[in-house]
Amino acid sequence: MLIVALAACATRPDPSNKAAVQAYEETNDPVEPLNRYFFELNRFFDIILIKPVATWYQGVVPDPARNSIRHFLDNLDAPVILANDSLQGNWDRAGITVKRFGINTTVGVLGLFDPATGWGYPQHREDFGQTLATWGTPEGMYLFLPVLGPSPPRDLAGFAVDQFFDPLTYVYWNGPYTVPVTRFVLNGIDVRSRNLATLDQIERTSVDYYATVRSLYRQSRANEIANGDVSQESLPDIDNLNFDTNEPQAVAPKK
Amino acid sequence: MSPFSFMRSAVAPVAFCVALAASALSTPALAANADPAAEKWVGDVSQQAIQIISDKSADRSAREAQFSALLDKTADMPRIAAFCLGQFLRTPTPPQKDEYVKLFNNFVVKVYVTRLSDYHDEKLTITGSQLKGDTQVLVQSQINFTNGREPVKVTWWLLKKDGGYKLFDVNVVGVWLAQEQRSAFTSVINNHNGDFSALLDHLKGQIADAEQGKLPPTAATTGGSSVQ
Repeated sequence: MLIVALAACATRPDPSNKAAVQAYEETNDPVEPLNRYFFELNRFFDIILIKPVATWYQGVVPDPARNSIRHFLDNLDAPVILANDSLQGNWDRAGITVKRFGINTTVGVLGLFDPATGWGYPQHREDFGQTLATWGTPEGMYLFLPVLGPSPPRDLAGFAVDQFFDPLTYVYWNGPYTVPVTRFVLNGIDVRSRNLATLDQIERTSVDYYATVRSLYRQSRANEIANGDVSQESLPDIDNLNFDTNEPQAVAPKK
Repeated sequence: MSPFSFMRSAVAPVAFCVALAASALSTPALAANADPAAEKWVGDVSQQAIQIISDKSADRSAREAQFSALLDKTADMPRIAAFCLGQFLRTPTPPQKDEYVKLFNNFVVKVYVTRLSDYHDEKLTITGSQLKGDTQVLVQSQINFTNGREPVKVTWWLLKKDGGYKLFDVNVVGVWLAQEQRSAFTSVINNHNGDFSALLDHLKGQIADAEQGKLPPTAATTGGSSVQ
């Protein structure tokens, strides 16, 4: 594996070409060939297995049932979200998570329904990757893994830590693993079924699907970390940007 | 991070369609550096876009022509095209540059008329705006779904130009669309050892696919029915 990884390193640009070096560092995808390999591998499994199952799931299971499954899975995530709300010192959102869990577990019949959203406590997501980001940890290089998808080191570590915030991890510590595996698989199929047409369309309207997904992942992560606030400071300088200018080209500042 | 978490971001282009397509009525909250004129402008432009997209009497090519005219008028297409080249801004020869700008316009029209064509009766509400320096404005808006889906935030990045406004980029649930295109375009050129004609070929391929109807019907229907 290590040899493959080393052989799969993207070539660094000529150090004298500052724009190229800056772009290389901004892209921060030194193992791009390896990532692309796993990306294609995932696409292959998607085409032969996940997409057909998700299509079948969407077609066969009625909408209300699918929505209940979604709400139930979301409700199970509440402890992890609460832990990370708290670690980020975001007590307002921690309060919302507690209220949501209380309301949806009782009135919402063990989480099968989501009355909390209608009562002014909408769903939000947090994970330890986001918590690390608010503590100043950079994302690290882009990494695309089989099954898990985009997993740069910070978010991969966050995903691992989140397992320990999840009470169900301890409940099923010694097995049986049927429940956690079912939860993982069902979540994947449900999310995929909700994005069938969208992903199809992105794939077919992208000049480079891999790079598009990389950009979508990073931008939406940055947005989740900022809790949806679009900041002016992170925007690239476009004032003097055009084909005729002699200004150094605009490259987005590092996030 | 859920295994398919990146797919959540996939909703962005769809939501953008709805954003453009949605009719706009604005009741702006006045902030210190708000720009009510820009808010009204965004409302008007999104209204025009929806009229073009939902005009079922026009066929596809007529809609594309109208949408293209609207983009020419309201968006700073040369600047967006330049931005999407990133580090390769000065790579194309002048004839390549001219071809690229033409293909880029065509590509954007094809992609977004497709993504927009399944418009639903959603509503775009302007929620505020901030000046960014003297020459730029960010306008915030929100799409409220009739089916109870969580509202989607859309931010419009405008440039002040000749006493009016020009659209530069649109941010949907945190994703700037021009930045998304730039990363794909630069990646194509990078992976062909800096050969600019590779990008031109890819764009031509995408446009040809769209013309042959190879694009999937539309995403808004499924996107609209999901709980996000």
